[in-house]
Amino acid sequence: MGRGQSAVWPLVSLAGLVALWTLCSSVLQLDTLPGPLEVVRAAQIEIAQGYFGHLGATLLRVTAAFVIAMAIGSAIGIALGMSADANRIFGGWLVLFLNLPALVTIILCYVWFGLTEVAAITAVSINKIPNVAATVREGARALSKDLAEMAAVYRLDWRERLIHVVLPQLAPFFAAAARNGLALVWKIVLVVELLGRTNGVGFEIYAHFQLFDVAAILAYALGFIVVVQAIELLVLEPWERAANRWRR
Amino acid sequence: MTALSVDIQSKCFGSHQVLGPMAFEIAAGERVALLGPSGIGKSTLMGLIAGTDPVFDGRVSRPNGQIAMVFQTPRLLPWRTLVQNIALIPDAGGEPTARARLAEVGLADAADQYPEKVSLGMQRRAALARALAVEPSVILMDEPLVSLDPASAQAMRGLLTEALDRTGASALIATHNRAEALALCDRVLELDGPPATLRKDRASPLDRTRRADAAAVDALCREWYGDVR
Repeated sequence: MGRGQSAVWPLVSLAGLVALWTLCSSVLQLDTLPGPLEVVRAAQIEIAQGYFGHLGATLLRVTAAFVIAMAIGSAIGIALGMSADANRIFGGWLVLFLNLPALVTIILCYVWFGLTEVAAITAVSINKIPNVAATVREGARALSKDLAEMAAVYRLDWRERLIHVVLPQLAPFFAAAARNGLALVWKIVLVVELLGRTNGVGFEIYAHFQLFDVAAILAYALGFIVVVQAIELLVLEPWERAANRWRR
Repeated sequence: MTALSVDIQSKCFGSHQVLGPMAFEIAAGERVALLGPSGIGKSTLMGLIAGTDPVFDGRVSRPNGQIAMVFQTPRLLPWRTLVQNIALIPDAGGEPTARARLAEVGLADAADQYPEKVSLGMQRRAALARALAVEPSVILMDEPLVSLDPASAQAMRGLLTEALDRTGASALIATHNRAEALALCDRVLELDGPPATLRKDRASPLDRTRRADAAAVDALCREWYGDVR
């Protein structure tokens, strides 16, 4: 009971979805709706042709863009949250960038910086930075004045305040930004790859779209969903648990 | 020798004046109570003296040595263990000292616990240990015994007295409790207001040994304040 059940239910729920998918594809008998077995066969063919290389290329881009966006977005968020002046001056920019369509950023980056890796990763980062900044800003606004006073009385320098007082208070906001961020970043990376890269999951999906090869498209999509879920379960969740050890 | 000298003209929050003119000095080693009802501005005054709030008319001369503060709430970092909370203070002398200070307040076994996993009384004692760890020349304490059950308050009072005896630090203790002020301090400053001003500044006739006797404290309390506690 309890723990065991909570691990079983997601599997049951996913099995239900696979069953429904199998039923639909066998009833409709369409070339454009292959069943799970056909997708597995397509994946086997793709594995012989560099499936994991493309997955890896996309994963590297996701990692680079994610790390850059978290670092820059957090710094901006902390600055805007802690300084009312900074927020008055730059808050409007944040709203603008939050509402800038991803596609526009991507095309502008490619136009201005060429069809390069740097342009691709920059475009994805720029799309994600405003979200991280907005989330972390909320946390920085709510920083405890009590603990700041304590740090002042006991003469902690700025580095000690950051490490022991400020960043731990922002941890839940980093976690929220990271979780939303990962899902958003990998979706945008696919678009970037589709528009201007010659490898990666996005590029492959585009190539198979031109052949209307839905089984291969699903094979790539499902493969990457598994990778992102694994990161969530193996990296983000253990980190969150460790960061929340102190809670009652 | 003067450990702390306070001369305040006024302190306002917006148009609301909280503190009126008041001046006093605290001698080295002296224990002074700041007595007044809740909401009179004791914590505000403590903030001015500690230097956390620099916006006021007047002057505070702090000692050359460290000034430590025991806040009304423990203000420990919840994501650091009790020993880490002390060891991370720059002048606290690192982890061995932190453990020794915690042992002095009876927290040797709880040193590696997180603050939210121990009782309020234990958090209060850890906050006291943190204040003592910086070897202050002046300790400011804001309601150090409030919202503790009688047994914990009794234990905390004992620890406070013992710590002040041992370190010889001056202390300014804000409290709304008259008996508590008389049991802990050499001198009682009474605040009245609003805006808060100094109504009385009296030395206690009880010496440090006689103060430990609850009956003597009760008797003085009746003499000074009538029957009200």
